[in-house]
Amino acid sequence: MVDPIRRALLALWYLALLAIPASAAPLDRTMFAGSLCKDGAAQVGAAEGLVRAGGDLPADDLAFAGGLLGALAERRLTCPPDGALLLESPNAAGGQDAVTGAPRPSAEARAPVLGLRQRAAVETARGVVALLTEETPAARSAGLAVLERRIATVPAAVLDRARNAETDAALKGTIAGLAQGAALSSPDPTRRRAAIAAVAASPSGAAAARLAALKGDPAYGSDPAFRAALDAGLAKVGRAVTIGDGLAILYNGLSFASILFMAAAGLAIIFGLMGVINLAQGEFIMLGAYATYGVQEVLRRFAPALLDFYLVAAIPVAFLAVALVGIVVEALILRHLYRRPLMSLLATWAVSLFLVNLVRVTVGTQNLQFAMPAYVSGGVPLYADFVVTWNRLFAIGFAAATLVLTLLILRRTPLGLDIRAVTQNRDMAACLGLPTRRVDRLAFGLGSGLAGLAGVALCPIYSVNPGMGSGFIVDSFMVVVLGGVGSLAGTLVAALGVGGANVLIEPISGAVAAKVIVLIGIILFLQRRPEGLFAVRRRR
Amino acid sequence: MNGAAQTTALASPLGPARRAVRDPLVAGLVGLCLAAAVALLVAPPAPYLINAIGQLAAFAILAVSLDLVWGYLGILSLGHGLFFAIGGYVCAMHLLAHGAAVTGALPDFVQFMGWKSLPAYWVGLDHAPYAFVLALALAGLVAFVFGLASFRSRVNGVYFSIISQALVYVAMLLMYRNDTGLGGNNGRTGFPLLFGWPMGSPGVVTGLAVAALLALTAVLAGARVLVGSAIGRRMLACRDDETRLRTLGYSTTRLKLGIWCLSAMIAALAGILYVPQVGIINPRVLAPDLSIEIAVWVAIGGLGRLGGAVIGAILVNGLKFWLSAAMPEAWPFILSGLVLLVVLGLPNGLLDLVGLRLRPTWLRAAR
Amino acid sequence: MSALTVEALTVAFGRFTALDAVSLAVDPGEVRAVIGPNGAGKTTLLDVISGVTKPVSGRVMLGDRIDLTKRSEAEIARAGVRRKFQKPSVFPALTLRENLEIGCGPALPARERPARIASVLAEIGLAPRATVPAGTLAHGEKQWLEIGMVLAAEPRLLLLDEPVAGLSDAETAHTAALIRALRRPDRVILVIEHDMGFVEAIADRVTVLHEGRTLYEGSMPGARRDARVIEVFLGR
Repeated sequence: MVDPIRRALLALWYLALLAIPASAAPLDRTMFAGSLCKDGAAQVGAAEGLVRAGGDLPADDLAFAGGLLGALAERRLTCPPDGALLLESPNAAGGQDAVTGAPRPSAEARAPVLGLRQRAAVETARGVVALLTEETPAARSAGLAVLERRIATVPAAVLDRARNAETDAALKGTIAGLAQGAALSSPDPTRRRAAIAAVAASPSGAAAARLAALKGDPAYGSDPAFRAALDAGLAKVGRAVTIGDGLAILYNGLSFASILFMAAAGLAIIFGLMGVINLAQGEFIMLGAYATYGVQEVLRRFAPALLDFYLVAAIPVAFLAVALVGIVVEALILRHLYRRPLMSLLATWAVSLFLVNLVRVTVGTQNLQFAMPAYVSGGVPLYADFVVTWNRLFAIGFAAATLVLTLLILRRTPLGLDIRAVTQNRDMAACLGLPTRRVDRLAFGLGSGLAGLAGVALCPIYSVNPGMGSGFIVDSFMVVVLGGVGSLAGTLVAALGVGGANVLIEPISGAVAAKVIVLIGIILFLQRRPEGLFAVRRRR
Repeated sequence: MNGAAQTTALASPLGPARRAVRDPLVAGLVGLCLAAAVALLVAPPAPYLINAIGQLAAFAILAVSLDLVWGYLGILSLGHGLFFAIGGYVCAMHLLAHGAAVTGALPDFVQFMGWKSLPAYWVGLDHAPYAFVLALALAGLVAFVFGLASFRSRVNGVYFSIISQALVYVAMLLMYRNDTGLGGNNGRTGFPLLFGWPMGSPGVVTGLAVAALLALTAVLAGARVLVGSAIGRRMLACRDDETRLRTLGYSTTRLKLGIWCLSAMIAALAGILYVPQVGIINPRVLAPDLSIEIAVWVAIGGLGRLGGAVIGAILVNGLKFWLSAAMPEAWPFILSGLVLLVVLGLPNGLLDLVGLRLRPTWLRAAR
Repeated sequence: MSALTVEALTVAFGRFTALDAVSLAVDPGEVRAVIGPNGAGKTTLLDVISGVTKPVSGRVMLGDRIDLTKRSEAEIARAGVRRKFQKPSVFPALTLRENLEIGCGPALPARERPARIASVLAEIGLAPRATVPAGTLAHGEKQWLEIGMVLAAEPRLLLLDEPVAGLSDAETAHTAALIRALRRPDRVILVIEHDMGFVEAIADRVTVLHEGRTLYEGSMPGARRDARVIEVFLGR
């Protein structure tokens, strides 16, 4: 229901604004305040005029206009017949003159109401002011967020000025992106082509979508230069996005493989030594994650300042706690079953059943909530859409450290020497006086502790609940089968292979097909090398 | 050492073969099954009880199938749920196709999947003999391919167990998908008819239970004859020293493959008998935990004793029926405790407790 | 011509070369002993002949047609090769009679088995214990049962891996007599042994292996005089 007279006035106001050269310096503060006190059309006109001129206005004028617009939005602007008045709060008895700053009573002043229609224009203008004048990056970013919704109405000059003045790198990038978006829809063909090239220069999935949307533009059909520029840009972006996505897949594969490696390394050590596959290894991982949660809660209560370091603090706790559980299981149960490896499968399954239900009954079945300290949240965009996320990098680094540490333990410590000796020839080691039973127990503790570490590493990535262990266990068994017995290198390569294959095949044919293909691959592989990847051929 | 066995053996020149048939435990169980079948027909108890007996019989068949390969051949399959499920799914397809053929109304899921009729591979499944043969053949085929790949490359022991577990796990993931046409997560249910009679009517319930009992009788007796035969002796020899048996000129791959496929088909038979009794099949029967539970029944009852497998299956599942209703929280703890008790304390299963110690002590070490 | 010919046989486990171009030829009816210190490759040689291990290169010819390195264990056994393992390997869950029945091999018709089993039982002197489980036998009895199992198939090549290891003097003498009684014109017996007295008592010729190579081949008295053999056995 637009009043025709109002519409005519609006048109006049536009014409008036257009008549003013864009570089026209300082703002006519009285006129601006007056416009805000007029009707809706005048308010919109003032706000949009500010947006248009924003790129050139001095900072103090912007701040002035922003203050006024803010007051208008918050109903702190009143309009006596001869000007405008800023109040401290709505309905206050007195305030300052908007232009001169002199105190005045607010009696008989009319408070202009901001209609829904005008609010958008005012918000945009305030966004421009915030982007250009606010002190903190957060406040500027909030201003930008407002502009993002109506980016087409924001002149390039405003965005250029904001970008040039911006000190925060991330925000600067966002502004540049938005400026490009605005330039892409510019009426000037040269500027558009430049914008296309600029968009293509920093490729991402969003950039590809943005360029692809331009194919529907009439210019694509009519302007060969535009068409060529767009096609070239699309091809370039498409290529880069493919590479970036490939990198992301590899990265995810690497992080999945890291978790698998940590889950499987313990299994492989134990299997090599005692011929026992611990079906409760998944539950040991779960216990490691719960131990991490326990550390977090203890820190939260007793040392909240250190809460951010709970993941680090959990490393020794989870390792020792789960190692202890492993040693107890070995001493009470597995010790009796070394000559009956198939029965040890059933026994460790019973242990896993027990542990899952124990945690279910005592802690509950819900997913645990973990704090996300800075070192595991967010990430760095590296190329196209490929973002190096800290939580996965944490897992990868963690696995690498675990690998090095485990190798050191196996190669450089007396326990490691004992473990290798017993793995290679139990009878001979026993003849030489090695306490093979004690070696078994410590090695089982070591293998279990590694599962606990896997639990720590996956806290920031996966959801943690009593049943989580079953999600990893079959994959880590396959790693052990593929990697062969008693070779950490085999476990590593197998983990990379299984993790990589899962993640690589998944986008092509789905998660289930990935598992099917990996399993078939392993069975076929065993046709050629039944001992696994790295097992040395031994005399039988 | 082994008094009972020795006296029977000495009684005849070909002692071992005769001794095999004279297994008091198996004979007793066969008699019990037949008596129960007759009792169900003559004086039927409450329908839920009949149904429970029928289900227990199906589980007992499943346990015998696993005991054949684990107890007598030393191959622990942690994936027998796969063969059970193959029998179950094909049986479910038969029941649906049969219902559709008799009533003329297509099952709901046909429309749900956006199909006009049942897909081509359902053709003929409304004929029971074809469906059952197909189920057994399919289970045998899957077992053959997997077994050939494994046994040929000498994958055995713990390796075989965890690869078979991966097999059933992958099958579970596969069946959870909705595009298989087999119901995904929900599985298949709502079977209207069995051989033309309405499902759930007293006659059908009793008939199914009796059929399961008779099948158990046949499987148990057949398996006993098998393990008492020359092939059974080769199975034991293969279990205890496969390399030795090979160097004596026997193709252990062929022996293992044959028994493995037979076992898979018996498991599929159990699945065929189970599904109409519970009225549903879904991917949860493919959960790795369920396959391990089958091994638990066998271990608890007494590994390498066919009667023990039957007793274990009935005991554990009977307890489960009762306890998972009475105290569902406690059941997993009881089960894990029971497993540890048997594995650590009673190497021959609960038969140790009952004093039916027909297995010599030197056999305890055999896995 | 030779009944068993080993030609340039090389076997490696990882980087370790267990047999390095070993050759030997055994005549029909001969009892050949292979001796050598630990790690000389004796058991590996038997592993290759019986098909348990596949060589890197070289051939093992049974007669002049069958290359054993190309056959599976079961095929080798069906060609008439039988091996007695170092550790007595009988089937503990089966009775002596059942063990021997399996020892007859898959080819022998069921009708002929009882007679064959009875004759072998008599030969190894365990007839009275035919129906006890083999798991209950004493160590020496298990060795004899195992010899009986490999005899039951009437092999043309008999491989004996340390048949008297861990036996008493009386049992050793019994075993030596048993092996001498096994000689046939059409049968080759290959024995691996440490016990020199035992070897001298049974073998026609000896082959001395050292670190995967053939050190000496000839008569036992000759071996005793050979300087290199003396050095290997006594020098260190």
